[in-house]
Amino acid sequence: MSQAVAIIGTGQTECGKRTDVSYPELIYEAVGRAFDDSGLSPEDIEAVVSGSMPPAMEGVANPHLYWADAMGAAGKPLIRTATCGSTGMSLAHTGFYHVASGLFDLVLVVGAEKMYEGDPQGTMATVADPFFQRPFLAGAPGIFSLQSNEWAHRYGLDEKRVRMAAAELSVRNHIDALANPYAHIKLNITVDDVLKSRIIAYPVRILDVCPASDGACAVIMASERMVKKLGATPAWIRGVGYCGEEAFFGEGDKVVWQAAINAAKSAYKQAGITNPRKELDVAEVYNPFTFQEMLFYECFGFCDFGHACELVESGTVMRGGDLPCDPSGGTLCNNPIGATGLQRTAEVVLQVTEKAGDHQVPGASTGLAHAMGGLDQFNGIMILSNSL
Amino acid sequence: MDKRVAIVDAVQTRHGDALGENIQEIMFGVVKELLDRVGIEKSEIGTMISSSSDYWQGISCSNSYYYDAAGANLKSGSKAADDSALGFHYGVMRVLSGQYKTALVVSVTKCSESPSVHTLTHMSADPFFQRPVGLNETVVAGLQAREYMNRYGLKEEELARVVMKNLGNARKNYHAHRKGELSLEDVLSSPMMVDPLREIDIPATSDGACAVLLAAGEIAGDLTKNPVFVEGLGWNVNHSFVGDQDLLNGALPKAAEMAYRMAGVKDPAKEIDVIEVCDTTSFNEILFTEQLGFCPPGKGRNILNDGTTSMGGAIPVNPSGGLFGANPYVARGLIRISEAALQIKGEAGEHQVRDVKRALAHSVHGLGGQLHSVVILGN
Repeated sequence: MSQAVAIIGTGQTECGKRTDVSYPELIYEAVGRAFDDSGLSPEDIEAVVSGSMPPAMEGVANPHLYWADAMGAAGKPLIRTATCGSTGMSLAHTGFYHVASGLFDLVLVVGAEKMYEGDPQGTMATVADPFFQRPFLAGAPGIFSLQSNEWAHRYGLDEKRVRMAAAELSVRNHIDALANPYAHIKLNITVDDVLKSRIIAYPVRILDVCPASDGACAVIMASERMVKKLGATPAWIRGVGYCGEEAFFGEGDKVVWQAAINAAKSAYKQAGITNPRKELDVAEVYNPFTFQEMLFYECFGFCDFGHACELVESGTVMRGGDLPCDPSGGTLCNNPIGATGLQRTAEVVLQVTEKAGDHQVPGASTGLAHAMGGLDQFNGIMILSNSL
Repeated sequence: MDKRVAIVDAVQTRHGDALGENIQEIMFGVVKELLDRVGIEKSEIGTMISSSSDYWQGISCSNSYYYDAAGANLKSGSKAADDSALGFHYGVMRVLSGQYKTALVVSVTKCSESPSVHTLTHMSADPFFQRPVGLNETVVAGLQAREYMNRYGLKEEELARVVMKNLGNARKNYHAHRKGELSLEDVLSSPMMVDPLREIDIPATSDGACAVLLAAGEIAGDLTKNPVFVEGLGWNVNHSFVGDQDLLNGALPKAAEMAYRMAGVKDPAKEIDVIEVCDTTSFNEILFTEQLGFCPPGKGRNILNDGTTSMGGAIPVNPSGGLFGANPYVARGLIRISEAALQIKGEAGEHQVRDVKRALAHSVHGLGGQLHSVVILGN
């Protein structure tokens, strides 16, 4: 690449039902915090990247134009990137290419969602094409429960064992979220609570599912030259990978999921990672559903296919384990969708720059951030590190 | 930007009021035609950037629907929403990063399947202040035009000349679907829509798509005998509220300045041979040509009246017929870029301008022209 890129500031809002602020105000909150964190001001920014879920969720046709001023973008170049669930990661990638191209040295990247003002499942149901898939693929849980069942069935995994591993992941995420000041869901739960919670779409229970949240996230990216000039504390972007596949859900293998595998492979290749399980210190895996998180472990090479439950059972992916995943509580406890992938990125930045506070993974120097989107169709990865 | 990224080739649909194929079929068609023309397989494409709008497509996450039809199955891709010139910028940045040697930039819009441009651009007004007043892109263009006419004395007959010129140019453009040889009376008898703009001053929308193949400068010569180099890019956004904007001095001069600086253009009127502008209304072509620096403010009428901007003039504006010829909303910016590239290649067909060495393409969306893009291409 023509120049190295780092993230030198992050800003997240408290998430939840944010009826106290309008859309632009919510965004301003995240952007202001990114400026505070980086010590920069809006005049320093050369270009802005913005995104959210499909704008049916916002009820505004061009959301980037609506909140241009809230981001301080007026008078600057602005691009809206949107790829559904992976929007936040696509935003991070768009910002990365702005700087890596050599055209810009300081770029502001903003993702946001106010899910309480719209109809999230209604919006998501219209991601499916209107002729073949929409009549039976309603919203997110339907698709992801199909995928979870396919995964367990493929490897002949014992139903109770998978159920228990997913419940333990749910508890881990919920307990971790208690230490994340920005997380939406703060519930002190036990495995028993998960097992008794109501079914949404078999095998997924309510405590296996992410919430709908209002929230925003902003990060500031800088070129190597600018990092040196500002004397900033950088989280270097060591690798990016993204892969998309067929529009029709039935056409791809969602267990040995090529989109996820390819995205990880290309990011690892750029970052020079050959053994992710050993070389990564932390991972923020996009986990709107507990079962799906395990499937991603396999696609990202954290373990062999069919063996994800073991990572949970051995404690490898738990707090204090060898490769703690989602120490922020993950998407499972915080999901303003257009911001979610960018939150994963910001959380890894906090970890590798030792700014994660109560949910800091000690000594984390390299981490993976991930998001998934489209119609169970896109995967994006970013590898961040405290050294180049 | 010294020959680091080139356009290898560009393909458009034959645009129409209502194309018979669906979005996936249209996308597949332009991409297949482009790859066949260049003579490469889709496996040789590095990455794909698309532009579409969920509102205009009637599908949430509009790029998920045509991702594989655009040749990107199991490839890296992204979407720059709502204006395909932004998708072009993003594609160029991906190639400049050095990660990809080639990038496919695509865009499709089927306006025949969506509500009217007035309804959809009304939806881009914020819901609290501007939407209740009834603002949409056309209404704001009317306010802009009236303000300009008051300030500079532009006449209705001069607006009509833009319509006559562009629909006349479109007659020679194979891809355009609205064309015509109109008299002044024809134009002035069109019903008033948003004063001072008549129905005929506002290009109707279309169905259409466009695909452009970008390549790193060092390999472009292997893919085509006449690569078109990207010399400059610029884009800029204005304030969200129309009341906060200077309607006659918006984001376009800033976008142009960025592109000219990158391309090393000092005097666009002397250094650029042809321009393709998003003529969102007849009036806007005059305003945008001025704001691109081709004449001083208020003098756009002069270069229109003396034939400078006509075919055969010193700086033909919209030899393709512009949006008057075809206006597939999101795809139109990439079509302008594609037209500019074909002019430089000498492959524009019957509307070819002679000896084009450098061309400019422009795109815009948003109330009052909130977000403008400028691309400078050269041989």
